[in-house]
Amino acid sequence: MKIFTTLFCFFLFIAISNGQEQYLTKNGAISFFSKAPIEDITADNNQVLSIVDATSGKMAISILIKSFMFKKALMQEHFNENYLESDTFPKATFKGVILNFDTLKDTATKLQVKGVLTIHGISKEKTIEANFKRTKETILVDGDFIVVLDEFNVEIPAVVEKNIAKQIKVSFNFNHTPYKK
Amino acid sequence: MKTKKIGIAVLILLLIVAFVAYNMYNKPHVNVSETSSDITITAAEILNDFTADETSANAIYLEKIIEVTGVISDIKVERQKGIITLKTNDDFGSVLSNLSDEATKDISSLKVGQTVTLKGICTGYLMDVILVKCEIIND
Repeated sequence: MKIFTTLFCFFLFIAISNGQEQYLTKNGAISFFSKAPIEDITADNNQVLSIVDATSGKMAISILIKSFMFKKALMQEHFNENYLESDTFPKATFKGVILNFDTLKDTATKLQVKGVLTIHGISKEKTIEANFKRTKETILVDGDFIVVLDEFNVEIPAVVEKNIAKQIKVSFNFNHTPYKK
Repeated sequence: MKTKKIGIAVLILLLIVAFVAYNMYNKPHVNVSETSSDITITAAEILNDFTADETSANAIYLEKIIEVTGVISDIKVERQKGIITLKTNDDFGSVLSNLSDEATKDISSLKVGQTVTLKGICTGYLMDVILVKCEIIND
């Protein structure tokens, strides 16, 4: 995990020191939805850091697991302690390249982002489709994708099998603005 | 007679178990304003701790109730939630404090440049130290 953090900081540093066209949000929103026979569970995180390099089309996202807020305190506790083990793996990250980024204009366009998603200390290659829109002052990104818990070694005990879905729908919404010091 | 007594005892026991389980399931979130803070610190100090050694700072601060004092450099409301940025000595990092719904109502009482004390739960460090569910502490 430490290596990812270091890499991420390194990427950030490179990004900042080059002084290129950076777009950033510190208040990106990610929420997830689990639909299971017994209950539906949602959690929201409004403190997501997302950076888009408008010159290279690279994208980096960093998420604090403990920033996911649940309706029930017990669910939040289990999510952190038992499932995502956020003391050991405090962050989830996504680093990738936006394909055909240079074609992006101020009309909403579906683009694919190809990169590596890291959750629970496990990294997987993933291509995520998202809606992009670029204006002078903003780069807007939103969309959703499915995370399969098994792929990231998140184990759900048999007792709560009917409470938690094995595939979780993750939605995101980022409003990047030009980065200024 | 005896079996009836046992039956009643078992029933009471079951009721207690059900009650405890129900309460555990509905356990409320930590009430930040009514809980005394674990750590009192300045914005510059907490950021410095995280930039110096994130892993050990995580062990100290994560999920703790932190009372942090600093000078406000930015105030905004996004998705109906108030966000206060506290200035530090660092060029890039700051303390991002996400206010509770209650505290967001009082956001107009705050001004950029003012020194303020906020109390919230630390969830970690990205570019900035993140605090959530913050309450504004009046001196």
